Amino acid sequence: MPVDLRCALFYSGKDIFKNRKIFIIITLSIILATANIIVINGLINGMIEDLVDNTVESSVGHLNIYPDNNERFIEGIGIKEQRLAALKEVEAYSPRISATGVLSNKELSVSNTILALDPDKERKTTKLLEKLIRGVAVNSNDKNAILVSSRLAEDLKLDVGDEATLAFENGIIKVYTVKGIVRTGNLDFDSSTIIMPINEAYRQLAIDNMASVILIKLSDKSMTEMYRPIIMQNLDVNNIKTWKEETEFISNFANSWRSISSIISGVGLIAAAISVGIVIYINVIHKKRQIGIMKAIGTNNAFIFTVFLMEAAIFGVIGVSIGDFLGYLAIKYFEANPFYDAISQTWISAKFESRLFYIVTIVSFVVTILAGVYPAIKASRVEIIKAIWGT
Amino acid sequence: MEIIKTSNLKKSYMLGKVEVKALNGVDTSVEQGEFVAIMGPSGCGKSTFLNLAGMLDTPTSGEIYLEGNDVTNMNSNTRAEYRLKYIGFVFQFFNLFNELTVMENVMFPMMLNKLSDYKDRSKELLNLVGLGDRLHHLPSELSGGQQQRVTIARSLANNPKILLADEPTGNLDTKSSIEIIELFRKLNQEREQTIVMVTHSPEIGGMADRILHFRDGTIENI
Repeated sequence: MPVDLRCALFYSGKDIFKNRKIFIIITLSIILATANIIVINGLINGMIEDLVDNTVESSVGHLNIYPDNNERFIEGIGIKEQRLAALKEVEAYSPRISATGVLSNKELSVSNTILALDPDKERKTTKLLEKLIRGVAVNSNDKNAILVSSRLAEDLKLDVGDEATLAFENGIIKVYTVKGIVRTGNLDFDSSTIIMPINEAYRQLAIDNMASVILIKLSDKSMTEMYRPIIMQNLDVNNIKTWKEETEFISNFANSWRSISSIISGVGLIAAAISVGIVIYINVIHKKRQIGIMKAIGTNNAFIFTVFLMEAAIFGVIGVSIGDFLGYLAIKYFEANPFYDAISQTWISAKFESRLFYIVTIVSFVVTILAGVYPAIKASRVEIIKAIWGT
Repeated sequence: MEIIKTSNLKKSYMLGKVEVKALNGVDTSVEQGEFVAIMGPSGCGKSTFLNLAGMLDTPTSGEIYLEGNDVTNMNSNTRAEYRLKYIGFVFQFFNLFNELTVMENVMFPMMLNKLSDYKDRSKELLNLVGLGDRLHHLPSELSGGQQQRVTIARSLANNPKILLADEPTGNLDTKSSIEIIELFRKLNQEREQTIVMVTHSPEIGGMADRILHFRDGTIENI
């Protein structure tokens, strides 16, 4: 005789709603576990997306040409720039020099990265020079002006208009005026970078027509894989990385975070599911006689199993649905109202991802159902005579 | 027509390492429309016989026939279906579903049996047992006698061929006991309901058509 699901649902519903306090507490634990997974993962997604955007906007191009292995600089920048300008899909490019130095303000000193660039070309390629929080950007012709990253400025107690002494890696020491303070949201960049015009770096480092990297902006950033071999051939360079490769470390970092948060969220979800299982199990123990009577009046083992599994399903449907709804609302709220993270000094917003939403819904529901399997099996195996006589 | 027939019915249990013979070769039959009482001292096998006749348990050996069909070795699902459609049970401790109302308790077996008019029928049955005004009460809101009447209404839900009652008055006061037995008599006379009832009380047993006296797992006389 097939199980009458309507009849099983009728009894499960009556049984589950009998003790409203327990029902509310157990459902609440599933609601919170489900919403927690959605919110935490939504925040991580938002944070990672912001980090990638900040990095792509300020630190890397869609394609980035690096020197060959064992070389520090790309040489012959002039001819390479001419060839880049001739390529149709290349919208802009910006050569940069990377060097190291020590910036000092009175008795305070910090090792830092010197990023030298052509402000005009950089503006066309990245938004780095728009990331000023105070002051103005450097010009191509500035000889005594630098921009200082926000953390570095804090560490050295520098502000716009202050003078600081920069010791280059070749031993040359020069005093510069801080023209602006930059904050990109990229923790590494913001902690210890100074920006100066590339011509000034050429002068102090005694080099010319060279670059540590050339950032290239394409008309469409999804064309990077297609355009990489074209640029390699046209410019006779071998070492080109796409923006995805450049931000791979962020993805790896994100995946590590996701793994950790998944473990924490999973523990919460399993704890909620176990509480469902325990409540149903206790119900089964208390209801042995009633289960015996149910069998005596003509229900079979499959029906009893279905009744108690359905109780877990009811907890799951209600808890997961409300958890989904609250999680969705929270994500939408944080999408519209980013919050400020004092550690990274950036605004963090959430990002709703429908794929994650569906996965969380299915996993939460399945885990809750699974929690009901053992008590349901236990219930279905109750022996009629022993149950009725309580032996 | 014989509605229940048993042949050399035996049932033994293991109590630790000791074998206890609860039934030791019972040969009997009950005619359709009969009201039979089973009496005897504690431990003589009355309830064991009722459990076997009601297909709640399986015999160690022997045969059980219901309406001429050998039901001895039916599988558990077929037995469950048989119990649902052909047998009604009334227990000593009422054993209602506490989370269901009076009407829902009576409706439930009909829902299981996929009857469509279960609401009307459950009202009819509750009127029959005198509880038409208690449809939406919970069992905990009723007296013992009233709860037993709900159990009787539930046992009649699917028009069973056989009503088996195991000490139905064992937990009731005298007044309620008489009401229940009068209800049984009414069902037996007006609806020709076959009833097999286990009781300790000679007064209550005396109201049946026939008494089966059990002693040491066998029927003493008929």
